Parts: sequence; structure tokens; C-alpha cells
Amino acid sequence: MRRWALGALGAGVLAWPWVAPRYFVFLASLILVNAVVAIGLNLLSGYTNQLSFGHAGFLAIGAYAAALLTIHAPAIPVVVTLLLGGAITAVVGLAFGVPCLRLGGLYLSMATLAFGFVVAEVILNLDALTRGADGLRVPAGRIAGWALSTDTARYYLAAAVTAVLVAGAVNLTRTRVGRAFLAIRESEVAAQASGVSLAAYRTAAFGVSAFYTGVAGGLFAFVVGYLSPDAFDVFLSVDFVVMIILGGLGSVPGSIMGAAVVTVLHDWLAAFQNFRPLIFGAILIACMLFMPGGMARALRPLGRR
Amino acid sequence: MRLVVSLVSVLLLLAGSAPVRAEQGVTDTEIVLGCSNSFTGPLAFTGEQLTKFGIDLYFKGVNDAGGIHGRKVRTVYYDDGYKPQEAVANTKKLVDQDKVFAILSPQGTAPVAATLEYLEQNRVPLLFPYQGSPVTRGKKYVVNGMVLYDRQAKMMIDYLVLQRKFKKFATIYQDDEYGKAFLVPFEQNLARHGLKLVGAESVKRGATDVSAQIAKLQAAKAEVTFVVLTPGPGAQALKERQKIGWTDTLMVSSGPLTDERFLGLAGEAAEGVEGLSLWPDPLTSDLPGLRAYREALKTFAPKGEPNRYALHGYFAAMMFTEGAKRAGKTLTRESLMTALTSMKGFDTGILPPITIGADREPLTQGFWVRMEKGRFRQLTDWLKSE
Repeated sequence: MRRWALGALGAGVLAWPWVAPRYFVFLASLILVNAVVAIGLNLLSGYTNQLSFGHAGFLAIGAYAAALLTIHAPAIPVVVTLLLGGAITAVVGLAFGVPCLRLGGLYLSMATLAFGFVVAEVILNLDALTRGADGLRVPAGRIAGWALSTDTARYYLAAAVTAVLVAGAVNLTRTRVGRAFLAIRESEVAAQASGVSLAAYRTAAFGVSAFYTGVAGGLFAFVVGYLSPDAFDVFLSVDFVVMIILGGLGSVPGSIMGAAVVTVLHDWLAAFQNFRPLIFGAILIACMLFMPGGMARALRPLGRR
Repeated sequence: MRLVVSLVSVLLLLAGSAPVRAEQGVTDTEIVLGCSNSFTGPLAFTGEQLTKFGIDLYFKGVNDAGGIHGRKVRTVYYDDGYKPQEAVANTKKLVDQDKVFAILSPQGTAPVAATLEYLEQNRVPLLFPYQGSPVTRGKKYVVNGMVLYDRQAKMMIDYLVLQRKFKKFATIYQDDEYGKAFLVPFEQNLARHGLKLVGAESVKRGATDVSAQIAKLQAAKAEVTFVVLTPGPGAQALKERQKIGWTDTLMVSSGPLTDERFLGLAGEAAEGVEGLSLWPDPLTSDLPGLRAYREALKTFAPKGEPNRYALHGYFAAMMFTEGAKRAGKTLTRESLMTALTSMKGFDTGILPPITIGADREPLTQGFWVRMEKGRFRQLTDWLKSE
């Protein structure tokens, strides 16, 4: 049963550009990008209880790294560029994770919030490299001689990368690291008593989360085609938090659903202009009232049937 | 394996297909226009004024009078909150889903720049964007909408050096691309006159205390100080200058800061500030175009107040209407661009006669103003940046 559902989902994802109008192909790419960020954030917040309000910063690092690599070394295949972008972001994430070990709860959230602002400032001030507030045009990525210059090509890239990263996240809980994350989620004290090094795994969670977000940043750069510090403000970080809370903390399918709902909602509400924040807020409150555990928990009874 | 084959064939197919040229957004009865703009975020006020109180205001008049060659104009707007990625999404939606004919007057350097390549590729006209950075210069399907910042800088320096005989210039500028878009041409144009900046102090984006910078500029004995800041810090700089009693310098505001509403934030510290105004006074000017604008505002949007942002949108809609009229009954994107770029000496009643040349920069002029009792007083006739 589950295999059939997965197969149908896969076929749907592959067929999407052939059945949907061009704009919705672009929108689907954005959903995929946001889904990867949401999964990355969920690995950190859902599993090791570290809520981050600075993931727009990680996204920006991955995006700028991928864009600059593509500009200065166009020969590198796009997949390698994405991996390098993810790796650079992961290093930053690890470096940021270490001092954050001493912080918990609100203090950690404050630190991540500040991190997001710092990244935007750094991008503005490194304008020789990033072109500052004027923004950076991202050339099309190349893979085996092909330039990914259409919405459909970029969609397939995003879909393939997302599929790999989703598989990775689902299977992570079967590894030693993943088990440790789960143990920390259930009880930090109990995990520590069982020999799980809290410090090491909380730092590792930052690294893994940053890697996911960095790869998503690279995809973001190619899908949107233009980067500017205005893109990565604090509201984007809040959107990511909304995605995982709406979808369900600690759930990979929940992250994807949350990302899809928030992305589509933003797109749909753009037409309401000034009333957009009001309607968005009202919908969120309703969701939290009727689905307190997120969509993943609300839909769980359906899956059991 | 089959997946790989189908993926590759998909890519092959896509690489082979060039963008399709279909005329869209024009029917026998309707022309659809739109833009992504700020309705939330830092520039929400400007965005609403540009669109609902500017563009729509003019088109209401046009539609009531029977439209353009019998076609009514309909507008579609989406909010991007000043985020470039949302501007891209909105613009793609406008072109692919709403099938707009052209993009009219979107706002902000980053959101506009993010959509440039997509619009050029799809040959969608981008008309009168509300942004002043030269990123939109030299694009085939763009007609620029502001006096671009480097032209403003040139006009200011030429006027102050040649007509007012000032020699010692300094600037306090925001440390980002907006500030640098003025700083660099200030230096270049002063160099043409054999002069240099005697002081240049930067202010970080978001900073509110500018006392150290103002003190340094006073020590540099600048005769003219250009204020290239956003409204908050700009007002702070003027107040600080008043507080330390630095009177022997002329404060000159630059770019969008030159507006009574923004300078008014500094209260009486803004008295005597001078600058380059790109539009006639929307409240008091007696020009026929402005009287018509205030009349339209009274008729169609009595709650609206006259201001320069709405006037920009109103002007953009007027220019589009004129271009579409000249393009004739068979309106296409190409015929519109041809009609616009061959426009010579069109009298808007708002600005001096408009000529759109091959550079597609119709707005090249401004006049000098001084802040007196909270309003601008015009000191010169129109200055040119040619």
C-alpha cells in the first residue's frame, strides 16, 4: 500500500511539468526548495529541541556560495555546486552551533535571530563579492554540458535533489546519529545518562540542518535566478518556523506538507495586497486551534486505516 | 534507467523550444496590465499610492471616456513585500497566468532587478519601474521610470558648481548600494570640475545615531553637504546639525529623500534644506496636468492625498495610454515599444515635453528647491542632465 502511494507520488512529481501551466512548475520548484529547508530545520528543532529563527541566514549562505561558484567556476556541474554550497553552509552551521551549546530555549532563539541579521549585513558589506543591495544575477547551472535554463529543467533538478535529501532524512533515524537525535528529543537527561553526548549531537544537528538549508539555498539561487539581501529577511526565517510547526515537529512528511501549504498560501494571498498579513495570521491561528500537533499528527489516523 | 532516459529527453525537448511569441493581454475590449509591488513591508505606503491612487486613478478616467481604441484597461497587482523572490513569483504569475500585456510601474531596485532577465527573455515590456539604480539601463524592453541616480548626481553637482559657485563638497551617505549609487557619480562629476569631496561619512543601514559623522563633516568645513540617507537617519542628520549649531553649510538632500513628507520629519531643522525635485509640487502646482490630477483624485478617490508617488503612477499610466493610442488599433508589444521609443515632445502637462529616445530614459530633468516653512519653494527652471 505504502509502495503504491509512493509510486503515485513519484509519477505525479515527474509528470507535473507536462500537465501543469508553466507558472505552477515554478511554484512547485519553490515548494521543493522550502521543503528542503523545512526538513533541515525540523532535524534541528524537531529532534534536538533547538528552535532557530536564523535559517534565512543559512539559506543565504548556501545561495550566495552556489551563485558565486557558478559565476567564477562555470565548469563545475550543478550537483557539485549544490554539494559545495551545502558543505560551506554546514561548516558555518557547525561553527555557529558550538557557542550555542551553552544556550537554551529563548536565548538560543535570540542568538539564531541575530545570526540571520549578521548574515544579511555581511552580504551587504562584502559588496565587492556579493554586489551588495544591487543584487546578484545567477547564471543557469550546467550539468553535463546542458544549461538548466528553463523552469522545467530547474524543477527536475530541484525534484531530484529533494528526493535524495528526503530519503536521507527519513533514513537518518535508522542510523546511530538519528537514534541519538530521537533520544535527545524524548529526554535530554535520559539520553545523556545512556551515553549520548549532548554537546556533540546538538552541534552535529546544527551541521546537518545547515547542510540541508545550504543545498536548498543553492536550489533557491537557480530557481529564482537573482539574489539580494532583501530576500533573506527575518520574516523568511519565521516562515520556515511556521512551516515546521504547521506541518508537525519532528516529521519529514509534515515538513513537506508545511512547506507546500505556506508557499501556496503566500502565493495565493499576494493578490490580497494590504490584507495579506491579516488573512495569513487568521489562517495560522485556525490551523493551530484545530491541528495542535501539526498536519502530520492530524493526518495520522488516515494513514492507519 | 527509464527515468534517466525520460529526464534527458525532457531536457532535450526544452532546450530546443524557444520562447513562444504570442500576443497576449489584448482583446477587442480589454488591455490587461499589472505589476508586483510593495503592499506590505517597508515601502507599503509608496506601493499603494503608486498603484491604487496613481495608475488606477488615471485609467478610471480613460475607461470612463471609452478606453484606448475601444479597449478598457484592467490592472492586476500582487504584493511582494519588497522580497525579490516573491517579485519573481508574482511577475511570472502575471505573465503566465494572468496573461498581462505589459508590466507597469513595479517598485524597488531588488524586486525589479530580479525580474529583468525573465521579462527581457519573454519580450514583455517593463514600463516606468519606480527605482533609480542604473540596473534597468540599456534593456531592450524597459522604459525607465525615474531620473536614474547618476543623472541626478550630475545635475546637482553641475548646478551647485557652475551656478552657485560652491567648491567644498561633502556627503553623509548610507553604506549600501543606494548610498554608493550617489557617492561614485558625485566623485566622478566633481572630478570633471577639478574638485574632490572634502569629506564622505558613511552610515550603516538601520543606524539612528549620526552625531559622530556630522561632527567630522563640520570639522572638514564643507560648504555643501549631500544627505544620501533614508528618511529616519536623514531627519536625524538635520537635527544633529541644528543641535551643534553648524550653520555655515548648505544641506542638500538627494534622491527620494527630497520630499516634504520625509524632510518634514526633522521639523524646523529641515528649514533651508535644498535639493533636486523631480516632480512639480502635487499640492499647489498650477500646471494643467497637476490640476487634472487633483481633479481626478477628487472625483475617483476623495480619500487620497496628492503626493509624488501617486503622481508617478498617474504619469506612468498616462504615458502607457499615449503609447497605446499611437500604436493604433493592432496593439502588440512590439508596436507599443516602437510607439513609445519614437515619442517626441509629448506634452503631459506635468513635466516638460517628453521625448523617449533610443536610450529609453525619458526622465532626465529636475528643478532646484528650498524647504521654506515645511514646503518646497522652486528656485530654478528645469535643469537638464544631458
